[in-house]
Amino acid sequence: MSRTWRRNLPLLLMFVPVILFFVVFKYVPIGGAIIAFKKYNLMEGVLHSPWVGMDNFRMLFSTPTTLEIIRNTLMLSLLSIVVGFPFPIVLAILLNEVGRMWFKRIVQTLVYLPHFFSWIIVSGIIVTVFSQQNGLVNGIWESLTGQSYPFLYREGSWLSIFVGSGVWKEAGFSAIIYLAALSGIDPTLYEAAEMDGASRWRQMWHVTLPGLRVTIVLMLILSLGRVMEVGFDQVYMLQNSSVSDISEVISTYIYKVGLMGSQFSLTAAIGLFESLVGLVLVLGANAVAKKFGSGLW
Amino acid sequence: MRKSLGERIGQAGVYIVLSAAGLLCLLPLVHIASMSLSSLQAVSAGKVTLYPVDFSFSAYRQLFEGTSIVNAFVNSVVITVVGVALSMLFTILAAYPLTRSYFWGRQAFTMGIVFTMLFGGGLIPTYLTVRNLGLIDSYWALWLPGLVSVFNLLVLRSFMQNIPEEVDDAARIDGCGEWRYLLRIVLPLSTPVLATLALFYGVGYWNSFFNVLMYINTPDKYNIAVLVQQMIQSQMMLAQMSTSSSSENLVLSPDMVNSAAIIVMVLPMLVVYPFLQKHFVKGVMIGAVKG
Repeated sequence: MSRTWRRNLPLLLMFVPVILFFVVFKYVPIGGAIIAFKKYNLMEGVLHSPWVGMDNFRMLFSTPTTLEIIRNTLMLSLLSIVVGFPFPIVLAILLNEVGRMWFKRIVQTLVYLPHFFSWIIVSGIIVTVFSQQNGLVNGIWESLTGQSYPFLYREGSWLSIFVGSGVWKEAGFSAIIYLAALSGIDPTLYEAAEMDGASRWRQMWHVTLPGLRVTIVLMLILSLGRVMEVGFDQVYMLQNSSVSDISEVISTYIYKVGLMGSQFSLTAAIGLFESLVGLVLVLGANAVAKKFGSGLW
Repeated sequence: MRKSLGERIGQAGVYIVLSAAGLLCLLPLVHIASMSLSSLQAVSAGKVTLYPVDFSFSAYRQLFEGTSIVNAFVNSVVITVVGVALSMLFTILAAYPLTRSYFWGRQAFTMGIVFTMLFGGGLIPTYLTVRNLGLIDSYWALWLPGLVSVFNLLVLRSFMQNIPEEVDDAARIDGCGEWRYLLRIVLPLSTPVLATLALFYGVGYWNSFFNVLMYINTPDKYNIAVLVQQMIQSQMMLAQMSTSSSSENLVLSPDMVNSAAIIVMVLPMLVVYPFLQKHFVKGVMIGAVKG
């Protein structure tokens, strides 16, 4: 008994600051989410503000603006997932086909790089490249069509730029996980396939893709579990008043109306709704993943 | 073995597509760098593509003299260095006890921590917590709320768990205590993954934008991300105004100064990136397999 105590004491000493962190900055805010059911005001604080039951949620689901924001969030993230999903897989398969290591390493270095740029950088590049005054893209466009086009200020082209920039930034880095799965495929499978006269294409179809199946399913389910999250930085940096009908999402709305406009209770309700849907989706996704034999826990 | 014509075409296709992908990731940055090193006339005439035209440092001169970028850069360095140190310390303190089988409440603590990855109170309650603690307009508001990333914690924990039991037993017999065992044996064995995590935290702090926007009010305390964002935003607003009005030759806030600011912001990342590349690939894989 005293021996385990002696071994546990230093561990507990290490762990106390960690517990403190998780309680203060993770669990206290979870408790603080009760203001979603209150009419929060500064003077009375989180605990003493009056209860209003489900009023904030009722307002949330009956106001056209907030409904539009939820719709935009779902639309942007689903579009990003559906369009962006195949890119890392294709990239990983192609990289796997490369025999020359130096070439593979250079390509990997380059395609991982954008992941480390913040959205500030990426949007700065986009604004410059698509600028109507002297942007590169508009220069080409003008020489083809004779006039410039406000790419960032029309909904269709804005959506393409939004989704495309997400692919540009993350496709390379997301390929790492598929590359890891590919390196786990038993090489004797390829040898056997070659003995049977299977071409490179047949091998890709019958060995490589089945080898990736579990990872693909897992990644798809995981990303569907995050469907309520659209990163603040990307939207905030790219949006402008010309496309606000499709570009206002939950996180930017919480920032603008909640923090800037001090509507804490209403936006806390949206935030809580977002978290709950996210939790249900992740748990559901994991349950489905288990059916495929690759659950997360 | 002889390859068929179709296979050779396929191979060539693979190399072409991958070269294109690599270039696509690199060229936008080359374009921005070229803009930042060209003269105003060349930039506004749209002559700059992938190399500087009329080579000139005027954009950088304007940037350093006309904006507070030096101050913002220093702020970013402070935020990043202190932030990485704090986050690494706490991640290690959290990960190590969770690998000890005899640690009381290990299961419960792990579950309590993983739960925060799945569910959170949201932005507003977190903001109110930070405000109630009196941290608004202080860098502690940037360091504390995101001190430990649960993902990084799990990566480190699974790495530490792979250290063989025999090492532990041998150390025990030599009378090694928990602290000494952690400092002398576990941490040195974990250096590759520690480097990866430091990189992830470092990139996160260097790029931190939303938190600064939210918690920091004094412009003197802004980091480089917020400064660059403000420059880009004003450029975008001006551009939008000029689309609605018909003034063709309006001189805008120069793109080249923004380009120079972007380059200053990515430069530190480009410098450390090659050194850490082999590590982070490994780190991501540990996280992917065990996370």
